[in-house]
Amino acid sequence: MTTLHLLSQSPFTSPLDSTLRPLGVRDGLLLCGDACHALQPGSAPLELLEHLPASVAVHALEEDLQARNLTAPERVQVVDYPGFVELCTRYDKVNSWL
Amino acid sequence: MAKSMLIVSRHSPWSGLGAREALDIALAGGAFELPIGMLFLDDGVFQLLPGQQPAALEQKDLAANLQALPLFGVEDLYVCRQSLRLRGLDGQPLALPATPLEGPELADLFDRYDLVITL
Amino acid sequence: MKFAIALFAPPHAPSSRRALRFAEAVLAGGHEINRLFFYQDGVHNASGNVVTPQDEPDLPAQWRAFVERHKLDAVVCIAAALRRGVLDAQEAQRYGRTAIAVTPPWELSGLGQLHEAAQQADRLVCFGGV
Repeated sequence: MTTLHLLSQSPFTSPLDSTLRPLGVRDGLLLCGDACHALQPGSAPLELLEHLPASVAVHALEEDLQARNLTAPERVQVVDYPGFVELCTRYDKVNSWL
Repeated sequence: MAKSMLIVSRHSPWSGLGAREALDIALAGGAFELPIGMLFLDDGVFQLLPGQQPAALEQKDLAANLQALPLFGVEDLYVCRQSLRLRGLDGQPLALPATPLEGPELADLFDRYDLVITL
Repeated sequence: MKFAIALFAPPHAPSSRRALRFAEAVLAGGHEINRLFFYQDGVHNASGNVVTPQDEPDLPAQWRAFVERHKLDAVVCIAAALRRGVLDAQEAQRYGRTAIAVTPPWELSGLGQLHEAAQQADRLVCFGGV
């Protein structure tokens, strides 16, 4: 079973390594809210994300990138809410890291 | 066939309602005879420390409620070994029979369940 | 697909608005929502006593309008609600409290409703934290 992991907390207060520990190779990530700060250029969380296996699809919620004036690097796919819903149907289950 | 649910508990016992409200989901699931597993991760591992004295904080004994998990049919209990290690608890006796799991085993654990709720 | 949506964060949290926008997109995408379940601080989204500043999005009002418009099953965990002072008329009377916060379409019920929704849905999506 594949899992879509929803992250919404800043990686600087809620370190990514716990969240990434149960990550399966075919799982996906969706960054929302302050989790989008993981895309901060030059940051350790961004480096962590970029080193994930290519099979792990990383996404970010468009409105949160816009609000924070962040740009998604190439490996991150930006989604809107319809895209968010579609992602939930693509993976077998959804886990939110609260 | 009932869907299985993994409940991931990340909060320490005396930091508010997080630990208790995660446990309540597990107990409710057990009461309905659903296949439930529980994973203690991050500060959630502190819930498993033996010898705690909640009365010092005028709190109810969470450990007693955790002990009720098997009575509700929730026997699949797991703990993140790395979380224990970071907190100097690896190898220490735990108040509950939780199976310690390393990173890749956590991925397998998540894979096995139909549903996950993390609190 | 059938979605069960759970919300654990209060109305001023970004995740409450995010959950609502997600729920709207679920229906707009032709899917169903079999239940909304409010737990932990999420119970405050069902409160009729929240007063939102005029220049801010009124999440409790928006949630109510959404539930009513689509005739959704909207459940608030009773144990979580009692602790947080979010009572319906029956509980207010039972405990001798003055404020009634929860009225239909919201219904106070137990965690069994969360489990039932999760069992019956194709996907359970939870929102909370921040």
